Amino acid sequence: MTTTLEPTESVTQPRGGGLARRQNFGTAVAGGVIFAFLGWLLARKLFYTGSDNFSDQVAVMTCVGWMIGFWIGIGAFNAPFKWLLGNDNSRDDDLYYAGHNQGRARYWKYTTDHKVVGVQYIIVTMGLLGVGGILAMAIRTELITPGTHFVNQQVYNSFIAIHGMVMILALIVAVAGPWGNFVMPIMIGARDMAFPRLNALSLWSLVSAATLLVGTLAVGGLPVGWVVLGTVADQAGVGMDFFAMAIVVFTVSTTVASVNLITTVISMRTKGMTLDRLPIFVWGTVVTAALALYAFPFFFIAEANQILDRTVSTSFYVATGGGTSWLQANLFWLMGHPEVYVILIPAVAALFEISTVMARKPLFSYRTAVGAMVSLAGLSAVVWAHHMFTSGWAPSLGGPFMVTTELISIPTGIFFLVLIGTLWRGSVWMRLPTVWMFGFIFNFLIGGVTGIYLSDVPLDEQLHGTMFVTAHFHYIFVGSVLFGAIAALAYWFPKVTGRYLNEFLGRISFWLVFIGIQITFGAMFLSGLKGMPRRDASYSLAFEHTNFISTIGAYIIMIGMLILFGAIVTSWRHGEPSGPNPWHANSLEWLVPTPVPLENFDVMPVVTEDPYHFDKEIVSS
Amino acid sequence: MDRSKSLGVALASVLIGGGVLAVAGFALASSTPHQTALHCVESSTAAHTCNLQLSTFPDSLEGVHGKNGGPHPDWVTYSNDNIVVPANTTIDVTIDQYDTGGSLNNPFFDRVYGTIGGNYTVNGKTYSHWNANDVGHTFTLRGIPGNGKTLFVSVPLPYNHGSKFPVKIGVGVYPKPVVVQFSFKTGGKAVYEWNCEFPCGGSREGQGFGEAMSSFGYMSGTMTVE
Amino acid sequence: MATSEKKSLTGFFWAWGIITAVGVVLSIWLPQRYMPEAMSNDAHLTMTTMILFSICAAPVAAGVYAGALHILRNYRYRGEGVPPAAEQIREHTKLLVTWLTASAILTVFVLVWGLGALASENSNTSSNPLVVDVTGQQWIWSFSYPGSHVQSNELYLPENREVEFRVTSEDVTHGFWVVNMGVQVDANPGTITTIHTTPDKLGVFEVRCEQFCGLNHAFMDAVGYVVTPQKFTSWLAAQPQQS
Repeated sequence: MTTTLEPTESVTQPRGGGLARRQNFGTAVAGGVIFAFLGWLLARKLFYTGSDNFSDQVAVMTCVGWMIGFWIGIGAFNAPFKWLLGNDNSRDDDLYYAGHNQGRARYWKYTTDHKVVGVQYIIVTMGLLGVGGILAMAIRTELITPGTHFVNQQVYNSFIAIHGMVMILALIVAVAGPWGNFVMPIMIGARDMAFPRLNALSLWSLVSAATLLVGTLAVGGLPVGWVVLGTVADQAGVGMDFFAMAIVVFTVSTTVASVNLITTVISMRTKGMTLDRLPIFVWGTVVTAALALYAFPFFFIAEANQILDRTVSTSFYVATGGGTSWLQANLFWLMGHPEVYVILIPAVAALFEISTVMARKPLFSYRTAVGAMVSLAGLSAVVWAHHMFTSGWAPSLGGPFMVTTELISIPTGIFFLVLIGTLWRGSVWMRLPTVWMFGFIFNFLIGGVTGIYLSDVPLDEQLHGTMFVTAHFHYIFVGSVLFGAIAALAYWFPKVTGRYLNEFLGRISFWLVFIGIQITFGAMFLSGLKGMPRRDASYSLAFEHTNFISTIGAYIIMIGMLILFGAIVTSWRHGEPSGPNPWHANSLEWLVPTPVPLENFDVMPVVTEDPYHFDKEIVSS
Repeated sequence: MDRSKSLGVALASVLIGGGVLAVAGFALASSTPHQTALHCVESSTAAHTCNLQLSTFPDSLEGVHGKNGGPHPDWVTYSNDNIVVPANTTIDVTIDQYDTGGSLNNPFFDRVYGTIGGNYTVNGKTYSHWNANDVGHTFTLRGIPGNGKTLFVSVPLPYNHGSKFPVKIGVGVYPKPVVVQFSFKTGGKAVYEWNCEFPCGGSREGQGFGEAMSSFGYMSGTMTVE
Repeated sequence: MATSEKKSLTGFFWAWGIITAVGVVLSIWLPQRYMPEAMSNDAHLTMTTMILFSICAAPVAAGVYAGALHILRNYRYRGEGVPPAAEQIREHTKLLVTWLTASAILTVFVLVWGLGALASENSNTSSNPLVVDVTGQQWIWSFSYPGSHVQSNELYLPENREVEFRVTSEDVTHGFWVVNMGVQVDANPGTITTIHTTPDKLGVFEVRCEQFCGLNHAFMDAVGYVVTPQKFTSWLAAQPQQS
């Protein structure tokens, strides 16, 4: 008997939709290009060619044109425009926007169905990781021996900044994007998110912002480091304007997404889904969304000030005008530190969820786990200046920020307790998600401990700005967050596609990536201990052995990630069929069929207990 | 999917992915501007000596960055950024300075460092330092510690006050150059970095360290000792 | 229905012990093998802190790793199909309290040591430090000894005398890092930042820029020498006077 995995929707044509019937990613790009050109023309007519700021003014107008044109082209303004005229979407229009009866075409459009948005986020994440990965390989290849080889230092400096920002973008959305969207509403028993159109808006805004970010490569690059410190950013060419505009749009996208996530969880839980029956992954997404809502506006302001400095000659960050780059650094890190927990917490929450199902027992100390995530988020708001210990900004604040930063090791330690405690005395099912989870445990410990070194001011005075810092955060981002994201992908892949992610290839990829990480970033710790500064296009002979080893490790990681990519692509349509609940889990997303129907549930479920009772199988009726 | 098919997928992914990466790498590397090396010319008169000829220009119209000045014809530039000299040799440097100037923002650079004799000649007369308010550019060369080959040479290049423009190079017209000459000795094989330390680039608030001063190939470069 | 019996913990404790021992050995060896030669009181303290923190981290890491290994050895389901449910343990208050207490104690210890080290670094031991003005400019460090009207691109320092670096920049933010002395501070335009240290070993040291400052950030190094006070005075006298 063949199992049909394709949606058995009727072959009738979709009704409704209006203008949206003709709009998709292609029209969005076309709109963006046309309006960017118009913006460019307008700027050249309006602004004074002789001024120092002329090229920046033109660049900013071009970016504004791109954004507006993209949003028009994708159909973001259709409904608001209708409201201006006193109309609204009909039920058919809403169904059209939700992708009803459109087959695969709906993935290219402004689709409001949270499951479509979730899959779109998977694609965008993989795209961003791919671009960041190409740049990473370019960087490591250039650093294989001392001196400059394939690219000059200006191009190299651009690579490291864009690699950094692209990867950060990718990791911010890596777990919260696909799974916060696809899985979370079903997990709480809702039919969709609270604001479905805003959901589509935040995804497509991310796409248009990411295009600007990668587009900096074409307009002279971004040779200023990803933290775009005010002074050196002021010196840079128009690539900096593209970057700043990308950030302005990106922060709006995350703010919108955060509001959406939080409102959904607060107001759309099904009957019986009280807060202490909420799956831990949902807690993770809410805490993350609240933290992001707090943090990203700082980034918006930091870059908006930079744009003003560069276009209308304000002096927020310019010393000769009375400003200071310390303002930019503070604003940036007020965002930057919470941001790394925005990146980390969804991955940890997903792993918590996975650990219960794979150990066949409840989450160890559920309330402590929630408390750890909440206190981590709260503390992360008051530690930012540990990135500025050596900036000279406020030497007397070194002590207080050291205290707050070291306190963070307590909730982070709880994460280990919960994971190990859940697996301990469990019936541990060594499937692909579990394998990546154990990798996370190993890497996150190293990343976390090395963070403690950096939080100590006297140690930081030696290690700040060296490759030790780079190795530390790569152990967290690549070794921990990425592993959590891949575990989440392997875990929820059957829900999205009805097939298992190829377990054999997944394990080969795991070992290659895991070993590659130890080689690359282990050697990088040694480079840093020896005294190699970071962001160096060329380095002294003293560091040649450790760098050579790091580059070899990077190639091993690359092979592993390519194999994983091949596994994802082929498993999507040709993987082993899994059925709707392959892991025999109890949370609501596993109790709906695969593929998940458009409105998730035929009958709204009533929840009577949390999903961690593995001693009785929940039968969905 | 069975194991052999999976391995096939793995191999294909690595080959295709590797291919894409190689193409991307190639594209990135070849789109990087490279200037051809300027080799020091062996002297016909003195042993273990060679001559190096450089110039500094008020724009890029002399053709180093392309026939009509390249992407930034108004940016100041050195004539070459990629210098190659032999090891254990005396390098006789001549710099033709065609550009105007102003005041150094760091008076450290108003004197001569690291040359033979501790001085240099400007249009034939010997000096050991120059008026900090009358400088056009500097030539500042230094070693990269860690490979043990430290070297520090810095000379201020005087402001060219010429008001007539009889010299034609490429599509640019320039005054008679201020000719600066100095010598220094190289040690063993190494790579050194040099750049101008005068704020001659563009930027907001007249800081002078942007644009030409912070872009590859204009006012900075490398000196390879082979 | 739940059937996971408690397995013996002997293996777990052995693993914990062995991994801790390996960790302690690495903690003592790695920093001394790889960190730059310490040439100031601050650098010695940094090295000691590095070793101490690593030794403290070793049993923590070892405990987590031993736990993971114990799980992999004893609690892996090796059958076919879906594993049976395990014992549905939700809480273990004693373990939680022990863990929280231990991590709090460790954190406080690390904090107290760190704050103490910070305080000792900041204490002004000398009322007459040698003042050196450091100027960072794309992409060169220049040093000036205001008392003697001397400027140099090499940093000469006398042994055993406290030196106060007053650091500024002419253009963008640079990072003034005296590698072998364990101190660094950013050089910012329009303002002066200060650090001080006391060199306590003769020899050559390096200054590197550790704050990304543009095109040739990677080449912004300077060389320094710690010399005897007599040699320092004679070097100073031999330098050309600046106005």
